[in-house]
Amino acid sequence: MTRIFLDVHALQTVPPSNLNRDDTGAPKTAVYGGVPRARVSSQAWKRAIRTYFREEQLLDPSELGVRTKKVVELLAERITGLDPALGVEEALRLADETVKATGLKTEVPKRKADQAKDGGPAPAPESKYLVFLSSRQLDGLARLALEGADDIRAFLKDKKSKDRAREIADTRHSVDISLFGRMVADAADINVDAAVQVAHAISVHRVENESDYYTAVDDENTEEETGAGMIGTVDFNSATLYRYAALGVHQLAANLGQGLREDEPRSEPVRRAVEAFVHGFVASLPTGKINTFGHHTHPDAVIVKLRATRPVSFVAAFEDPVRSNGGGHLREASDRLAAYIPDIERAYGDQETTLTWVLRVGPSTGKLTDLGTESDTLTGLVAAVGQAVAERLEKPA
Amino acid sequence: MITPTSVLALRLAGPLQSWGASSRFTRRTTESAPTKSGVIGLLAAAAGIERGDDARLAPLAALRFGVRIDQPGTRVRDFQTAHHSVTGKSMPLSERFYLADAVFVAVVEGEHTLLAELYAALRAPVYPPFLGRRSCPPSGPVELGLHERARLEDVLLDVPWQASDWYRRRLLHQAPDKLTVLRERAVDERGATDALRDQPLSFAAAHRRHALRTVVTTHVALPPGPPDEWQGHHDPFEALPGALEDESV
Repeated sequence: MTRIFLDVHALQTVPPSNLNRDDTGAPKTAVYGGVPRARVSSQAWKRAIRTYFREEQLLDPSELGVRTKKVVELLAERITGLDPALGVEEALRLADETVKATGLKTEVPKRKADQAKDGGPAPAPESKYLVFLSSRQLDGLARLALEGADDIRAFLKDKKSKDRAREIADTRHSVDISLFGRMVADAADINVDAAVQVAHAISVHRVENESDYYTAVDDENTEEETGAGMIGTVDFNSATLYRYAALGVHQLAANLGQGLREDEPRSEPVRRAVEAFVHGFVASLPTGKINTFGHHTHPDAVIVKLRATRPVSFVAAFEDPVRSNGGGHLREASDRLAAYIPDIERAYGDQETTLTWVLRVGPSTGKLTDLGTESDTLTGLVAAVGQAVAERLEKPA
Repeated sequence: MITPTSVLALRLAGPLQSWGASSRFTRRTTESAPTKSGVIGLLAAAAGIERGDDARLAPLAALRFGVRIDQPGTRVRDFQTAHHSVTGKSMPLSERFYLADAVFVAVVEGEHTLLAELYAALRAPVYPPFLGRRSCPPSGPVELGLHERARLEDVLLDVPWQASDWYRRRLLHQAPDKLTVLRERAVDERGATDALRDQPLSFAAAHRRHALRTVVTTHVALPPGPPDEWQGHHDPFEALPGALEDESV
């Protein structure tokens, strides 16, 4: 089997911030190398990437999916979009039957059912779990529902139509579903295994959370005794993070299925997805408390490797925590990587087939220059990686 | 006559690992050591065995499994929220537990040809390995070695202590005299055992099934640390003092 792996590594410094907090409101942490570290969970960063895809319009909306319980409502909207003559209730009924035919269970949430008893409008059923459906899948299901609109129950009882419903829900996955997977607990045959592995980001150095005591002044309080209108604390830390993700390009290609259009090369959807992923991984940022801290930063260094054997995380380079020596952590973190990467690649990598790109900023990351082909811009990096992936898909190494 | 077995040894280390044996719904716990289903799953993924392919999974699940706790790590509780993509409302919170900073040696014992295939698969996996959860990639390669004509007990006795450098340094003067081993009972073995429901029968997404398996808890004398050659590889920062001097310029 042809294996194409892409691993993406980034060093990113964030100022005092609270990107991803636990239930006490403090930034998440983990112990590594025996010392506490700042941590940003993989789930938080994956969500940031998905949001970035949408907001920055890296991909056409038709290539994206939506994760929701309101799948019946969404489908009903598509159905009325195709046939505006249908009433809302009728569309909801068609949508509900069609969703159920894909194997998902739906039910009216109890709270809403109770509200409806008091004379509210009949609420739409929701799926029991969060479902991740692509835009193209919703379109396909809407068309199928209209096809059987005369008697939807009888239509979907027919095994052929039922199979079509399942097939539509299980093919032409959106780019984000193909990357991050979809889990549906009660319709297992439309699960998609994620092609991408995103590690929890951890700081390369020891981090202790800090707590900021704040008071807020009441501007309108002129008469009474002066004092705080409100007091509280907010926890934060600042960190130089090592971020890592590995993408099984061959798995992504399988998830995406065949090309979107006949006139495109076979590798086109995969190239677009890979480019979106690299761009999104590098540039996205979890937005936890972003208005409080304004922690908008970009990675100081990005290393991308395209491989034919296996992805490799470089996190062990930071098991021994980096010490700042008064000059921040970035320089030593870069130096560590510059020493560690050639070492581990020599022992376990495949020098013949591995391609490496480096995107870096500032003098502190200088030692990373020799690790691979330098890109001047993120756009350049993304294009170079996309091009190389497309070439390798067409002609495996 | 019993055919001599081989043993494939793995080093499972990374910032985070999570080995659930009975977690479902919103509370995802971890055992204190890798589970058999987790490790067999890692091997099956490397070999490219698809989730529903129970026939190809069976010979892997039949391997005898054992694990040695070289560095127990600490438990991390992770708290996760999800948001409704349409309404933005919070979904049920979930708790996930991880082991941070842990290192294990896991071994599987069985027929040599199969283990040789799995050893090769680990070096060029179809689906890359992870330590119980996809967000927990291993640090460094997981394959540690294939031992021909060996028994699991002996390999767990002989494989060098895999604990991290910092951990060994910290325990320099109070190193443990033994390491805990959790392994399956041998065919001819008697005596009391525990049981854990982590014997994989099927990884099919629709019907994941696990059976009970035996767990014998024993100890082995602390083996010596890794040989110099290995150490040289995993301690590449000798050049760093020079790098640090640069910084003061």
